[in-house]
Amino acid sequence: MKKSPSNKNDQLDLGLRKFIKDLGYIAGGSVLLASSPWLQSCTPEKLEEIKGQKARIALIGTGSRGVYHIHNLLNIPHAEIVALCDNYPPNLKTASDLCPKAKTYTDYKKMLESKDIDGVIISTPLNWHAPMVLDSLAAGKHTFCEKAMALTMDECKSIYDTYQKTDKVLYFGMQRLYDEKYVKALQMIHSGLIGDIVGMRCHWFRNNDWRRPVPSPELERKINWRLYKESSAGLMTELGSHQLEVSNWALKRIPDSVIGMGDIVFWKDSREVCDSISLTYHYKNNVKTTYETLISNKFNGMGEQVLGNKGTMELAKGQYFFEDAEPAPAILQLINQVESKAFSAVPIAGPSWVPEIETQHQANYVIKGPISINPGISTTGVDKDGSDELISAFCQASITGEKAKNIVEECYCSTILCLMGNQAIEQQKKIDFPEKYKIPYLNF
Amino acid sequence: MNHPYFNYYESSSLFHGSLLSIMGTRFDILFVIENKVTGEALWDKIQSELIRLDKLFNRFDPESEVSQINAGACLSPFIVSSEMWDILLSCKKYHQQTNGLFDITLQNFNKVLLDHKDKSIMFVDKDLRIDFGGYAKGYAIEKIKGILIENNVQNSFINFGNSSIFGLGKHPYGDCWSIGIEDPYQKGKMLGEYKLKDDAMSTSGNMPSNPKHIVNPFTGVYNEEKKMVSIITKDSVDAEVLSTSLMIAQIEKREEILHHFNTSEIFVYNL
Repeated sequence: MKKSPSNKNDQLDLGLRKFIKDLGYIAGGSVLLASSPWLQSCTPEKLEEIKGQKARIALIGTGSRGVYHIHNLLNIPHAEIVALCDNYPPNLKTASDLCPKAKTYTDYKKMLESKDIDGVIISTPLNWHAPMVLDSLAAGKHTFCEKAMALTMDECKSIYDTYQKTDKVLYFGMQRLYDEKYVKALQMIHSGLIGDIVGMRCHWFRNNDWRRPVPSPELERKINWRLYKESSAGLMTELGSHQLEVSNWALKRIPDSVIGMGDIVFWKDSREVCDSISLTYHYKNNVKTTYETLISNKFNGMGEQVLGNKGTMELAKGQYFFEDAEPAPAILQLINQVESKAFSAVPIAGPSWVPEIETQHQANYVIKGPISINPGISTTGVDKDGSDELISAFCQASITGEKAKNIVEECYCSTILCLMGNQAIEQQKKIDFPEKYKIPYLNF
Repeated sequence: MNHPYFNYYESSSLFHGSLLSIMGTRFDILFVIENKVTGEALWDKIQSELIRLDKLFNRFDPESEVSQINAGACLSPFIVSSEMWDILLSCKKYHQQTNGLFDITLQNFNKVLLDHKDKSIMFVDKDLRIDFGGYAKGYAIEKIKGILIENNVQNSFINFGNSSIFGLGKHPYGDCWSIGIEDPYQKGKMLGEYKLKDDAMSTSGNMPSNPKHIVNPFTGVYNEEKKMVSIITKDSVDAEVLSTSLMIAQIEKREEILHHFNTSEIFVYNL
């Protein structure tokens, strides 16, 4: 890293600092950091210590997600984009136009040889994650890679094992870990707000073909890499990995098995990955997480509901509801009576001053003030979903060299679970969490 | 958003219509009708009427007639619709009959001047406002009752937020509509049962979530008693006016007020 000569750049990343502050962090306070230990490496005090320093960041993959990161990086005072690499010229040019001072590469290995890089951000097709992460760590670079971890379980394990030995920082794009409404909501859940967790429902619905325009036919597999099994594990790794991560985070456990189905139901265009998936993950305490994704109906949008015996948390909306706000309306009792040809008094009369709709299932909000909700439509990323804080924290770590707790483990587990889901679909049977891929993290 | 909902239960010919947010509360109606299509058509009429009345009475809607009056009647005469005129006259009558306890100004109805010549209203105090909170639900129920009778419905149950209820005719399997009332301070504790047969029931009272909301127009003080008053009469507006007035009336004044009304039953609960 280098010292910035300019006073103008002497500022801290106020966004990251505000994020931690909004979470209720008090210097020396331990509650937040105990429940969200990955935030320990990016406290305001630690940010103060690197004031004026800049992490020299290189990007591998400058497609839509890479460019999204560039936009965030340009606003991070402790980051400087020094190198860009992509093997698709139009994308490299787009990125280069945004940061003209950065060196450009078409071979990422060449780029990794550079001594002037502190941290590498990888936003490439899934099949490239493992080789690039391993090469980047081997080259002594702090590394950030988009989710999911990798295309195969073996690759994931190899990354995990390497991470145990390296002294380099490794981050994955699990931005919900840095999304204020998630961090707060999970704290509230773990404090018992909604009682015991008895179920989880996760879903992600879109209505689009998940394709990008292809300028010439030979580029189909390169540009639409998400649709082919050689480069993608489909909707599970692209969408499900975030939500299964949240499920494990809420339950503080890892599922022991999965059953389910997946098919191509609508987009019959020679793609190889499912466009419709319904899975059920089973935890050892018998709680189940249902996972549904469909990309030919968007009515239900994106969401993660944590179901407790006392209430329900809608994580993506930052809202929660209590179970026993009001008993079932007496009017339903009266209807049931008539339907069953019965007659007796219905306890319905009483004073009422507030609309009952509000007392029945009144939404309570995790965060005071405006809340940013991701409708789940964009395939690139949205504002205020934790991605900018996550990248900022990575840049900070690229200066300090301090690892962030749990991120690799969270990403590892959710990716293995996604791949198990795909196995359940392909083999049409229940898949148990394979012994050889279990790691000492949380419990089963 | 009113959140309209309806369902028709074929086996019992029962139609259920519901608006989850109307006139500040929730509206539910059950009526027995021969088929779903007729039921839906009738529900349409009921909904339109409720939405129309909300436009008349909702003081949070700047376009409602009551808002226009509140904005325009200050120290200068404001001409009202003929329906509103009749409502204002009836409110004046109730104000007299309740010895001033029923008061749509919540302060002093005597500062409201009603001019019969041009059907106008004027507030002689610039801080005066009117609020039909203790009147509108009863008025709406009377209107809905009219629609039901016009359409030959014999048995129906109308519930406006639990506090304003009307039982037209009888329960399909009973000889009336039988209503229980719960102690708002003790969940599950039933205080009594009432039989409604072409009767209105109105309940006023305080509850833990809303310990004071009825103001005495003479003192300006909110009633904070742990108390509930239920009235059963033939007329929903009478019921509404009485339950509110008797909530704040001194015990010795009750008889004097009731003298003006054909009340079937009154129940005062000290909780």
